[in-house]
Amino acid sequence: MVRMTGLMTAAVALTLALGAPGVADAKDYLLGSQLPLSGNLARVGQGMSEGIAVAVDLANKQYAGKHTFKVTTIDDETSPAKGVAAVEKLIAQGVVALTGGYGSNIIGPASEAAQKAGMVYMTSGGVTPDLTGRGYKTFFRINNTEGYAKAMIGLLGDMQVKKVSVVYLNKEATSNLAKQVQADLTAKGVTVGMHEFDGATSDFKPLLNKVKLQDRPDAIAMVGYENDYVGVLRAAKVLKPDVKAVVGVWSLATAQMAKEFPDLMENVYGTSMLPYPVEFTQPEAIEFSKTYARLFNKEPDYLGQFGYVQTKLLIEAVLRADEAGTLDKGGLADELRKTDAQTLIGRVTFDEKGDNPNFSHRMGQHQQGKVVLVWPPEAANGKMNFPARPW
Amino acid sequence: MLSLTLQALFSGVLAGGYYAMVAVGLALVFGTMRIINLAHGELVLLAAYVAYAAESQYGLNPVMAIPFALVIVGASAALVYALLSRIDQDREINSLILTFGLGIILTNAVLMIWAADIHSTTAPWFQESVVVADTLFAMRSEVVFFVGGLVLMAGVHGWLNHSWQGRAVRALSSNRNAAKLMGVNPRRTEILSFLVAALLATFAGIAIYTGKTIFPSLGHVMTVKAFIITVLAGMGSIPGVLIGAVMIGCIESLTVTYVSASLQELAGMILFLVVLFVMPSGLFGGRKAIAR
Amino acid sequence: MKRFLVPAALAVAYVAVPLAFGGNPYVMGLIVAALTIGGIAVAWALLGNLGGMVSFGHAAFFGVGSYTSAVLSMKLGVPPLAGLLLGGLGAAIASIATMPALRLKGPYFALAILAYAHIFQILATEMTGVTGGAGGLLSIPRFPTLLGVDLGSKTGGYVIILTIVVLSAAAYAAIRRSAWGLALKAMHDTEIATRVIGVPSTHLKAAMLALSAFITGVVGAFNAHFINFLEPDYAFSGAWTVLPIAAAIFGGYRTVWGPVIGALTIYLLDQLVFKELMPHGHQFVLGMLLVGMILLSPGGLAPILGRRLEGGQRHAHA
Repeated sequence: MVRMTGLMTAAVALTLALGAPGVADAKDYLLGSQLPLSGNLARVGQGMSEGIAVAVDLANKQYAGKHTFKVTTIDDETSPAKGVAAVEKLIAQGVVALTGGYGSNIIGPASEAAQKAGMVYMTSGGVTPDLTGRGYKTFFRINNTEGYAKAMIGLLGDMQVKKVSVVYLNKEATSNLAKQVQADLTAKGVTVGMHEFDGATSDFKPLLNKVKLQDRPDAIAMVGYENDYVGVLRAAKVLKPDVKAVVGVWSLATAQMAKEFPDLMENVYGTSMLPYPVEFTQPEAIEFSKTYARLFNKEPDYLGQFGYVQTKLLIEAVLRADEAGTLDKGGLADELRKTDAQTLIGRVTFDEKGDNPNFSHRMGQHQQGKVVLVWPPEAANGKMNFPARPW
Repeated sequence: MLSLTLQALFSGVLAGGYYAMVAVGLALVFGTMRIINLAHGELVLLAAYVAYAAESQYGLNPVMAIPFALVIVGASAALVYALLSRIDQDREINSLILTFGLGIILTNAVLMIWAADIHSTTAPWFQESVVVADTLFAMRSEVVFFVGGLVLMAGVHGWLNHSWQGRAVRALSSNRNAAKLMGVNPRRTEILSFLVAALLATFAGIAIYTGKTIFPSLGHVMTVKAFIITVLAGMGSIPGVLIGAVMIGCIESLTVTYVSASLQELAGMILFLVVLFVMPSGLFGGRKAIAR
Repeated sequence: MKRFLVPAALAVAYVAVPLAFGGNPYVMGLIVAALTIGGIAVAWALLGNLGGMVSFGHAAFFGVGSYTSAVLSMKLGVPPLAGLLLGGLGAAIASIATMPALRLKGPYFALAILAYAHIFQILATEMTGVTGGAGGLLSIPRFPTLLGVDLGSKTGGYVIILTIVVLSAAAYAAIRRSAWGLALKAMHDTEIATRVIGVPSTHLKAAMLALSAFITGVVGAFNAHFINFLEPDYAFSGAWTVLPIAAAIFGGYRTVWGPVIGALTIYLLDQLVFKELMPHGHQFVLGMLLVGMILLSPGGLAPILGRRLEGGQRHAHA
């Protein structure tokens, strides 16, 4: 109880600190962020909000004495209606732009509300093509399904596997990605077995047994979230199918997974932009990682990286637009379209629809408590263990 | 094909063990108080989180955490009982709403204290494989807690049938007034049934923490599944609930094997409705009709 | 006093509220969301009071209504306003599938309906061709501009949902006063006695279930065209069951307006006050409110307010 009271007090203090409206000085910029901090997506929403906080912190340091930046965050409770309400409230509070959003189903209506108000909405939390397909002028996204599919397919291609079993969750983002992987691999002549599962599945042995006895694949590709990966890997560890690799996507090749499930993750692949621990070759990554550790007392994960990059690009564009005197005249969207930057997640530019055509993820592999980047070759910082299994 | 089916049945039976541990507690409380404790799944979840806290903070093996979890879950169950016993009008609906509200409180307390991250034991011993005849595969955790759960449920079954207190619980559930006339203290008996339910919930929580992953919204899912199983079995007896749980487990794993893993919940729900409509007093319900 | 209460409240609702908050889409959006919950809460309380049935699965009807209207308007070009009624109709038809559950007692009925909600949700996910599957439907048509009023705006949506809630509550009140209502009340008290004197209890209960489903379906259809987006997890979300129940209990489910008052109170308190105080986990407070209400005033808020207004002269209600 004591701990809860403490948390609540901290939460109140945080609200007051963050919610205080920006002073009417032109050098103060207030950003808005609508994210799920409770409900089903609470964990990922929290991750992205941490990255946003790091970007704001670093920007305040970089422009110290000249500009200050603040971010107001409103919890959308993993609900589309509350996402819309949050966006409207933030706009009413006079934010210059929005950064955040998780889940295509919430980003959809929320960014629509932003579009209606002519407010820029920047995200990395929804990868479906439908979002950019709407052609909104104010909508920007630094990642997409294709980038994830490219990485997974690229890695599997380099492994020269002939048969792959795709095990995927029947949600929107996961089934979109799984189907894209299926289409691209089939086109390359790889035999693909598709296995859809429901979010309530906790025992994957019957499913993995089908993979083991019927598909007999060279590799298992998993598309889901943490608890699904843990379930699949535990079942695979028990059944020991004769595969050469186990590959996954988001939320997998992370420091947190390496720490929480060390015996389960060895040799598993997943998308990752940075190796873990972060190496001292990239100054920006080091700065990011240090600030992250200072603010949140932990290693940054991919959610934080994306939240950081999207917010950093947004802040830079806000400054450029303000210097050009177009910020309050709707010039921010045009300024963002001029973005061409090398970031933690690679090169970012935006096309007409606000999508980042350069986005291609990297693949990391869990190796003895570390995450080693193994694909693409130019980004690799280690050798891939192949063939190798977690068991 | 044969080995697929055998594995599906094996997995289903083991899953049924988990389900039964949760469901028996629910059925027991329903029996004595005619109340469905919608916070029951959250009590199971609480036990799992206590085990997580003990393991992550003090490096305690999840099995060693059972006494601590038992104290905390037992105290919470007693609190639920104390609040429930204050309801005096429209008992059926008000108790549903009350326990439902308590479930929301527990879920959000877990969310605030432990955040929404997923957790599971870091002790690899529990996830090592147990292989029977080269065709049946399971995790140690599943087998250990299935056997442990059976022993525990058998114990509760024996207690219900042979001890004076246990008989009092049964007497109260079959005829409240007659039981009172026979000298049964209803309050003491009710709280006893709550505590036995808490014992089962604790054990189930530890089992889930060692074999699966836990997250805050899991509690509600478990309550619903437990209720479905209890209805399926007909609230009758512990062996009945166990068989109902194993049936649900098997129908789910067979659906995964022969149709699709995305339809396993559907199969369970349809089985539930069919039993409800065709045999309204459940498979083993006997006298206690649930239909008018 | 009471004679003027309803017209005054309606005047405030239709005129004063849009004038006061029309310029603030955030607050208007919250009120619309609260009324959406309120509409389901009225339908839920109707079923509970007149049919004597507690449902844990009104999300089933909400989801069917929203998908019916959304799909009809997107694939066949049915106008959204007509879609509202068709959504209600779709939900009422879906309720026929749930009618075998009518012969089940209290909690069993409640859980059977919950099972239907799960089944409908899974079907919506799997019937990709019609519903768009897990990806859902984006850009569902907005409400049109009628007589110079943009019904697709926040204020327009407010007028529509307000009208739905008022009509539903009025229908509920009328049935309660009618001979049917009397029969239903009698049935609620002693079902066997009612059967003996010749009231066809199952038919009446079925009618109440269909009506409750219809109202919920209309509200669901409204929400689909207001939010312009649907996916199975959202349309059949447990929240569409849980929040209305909480609202009805909080406001007083034995009265006609209690559920609406409850929905407005709970939702607005939660969003405007608790959320400011504790940005996450504020549902904790919702749980506390629910528990506190059951323990301290099981009849809910409305009876307390009613007693205040009428000086304790309130007569027993159905």
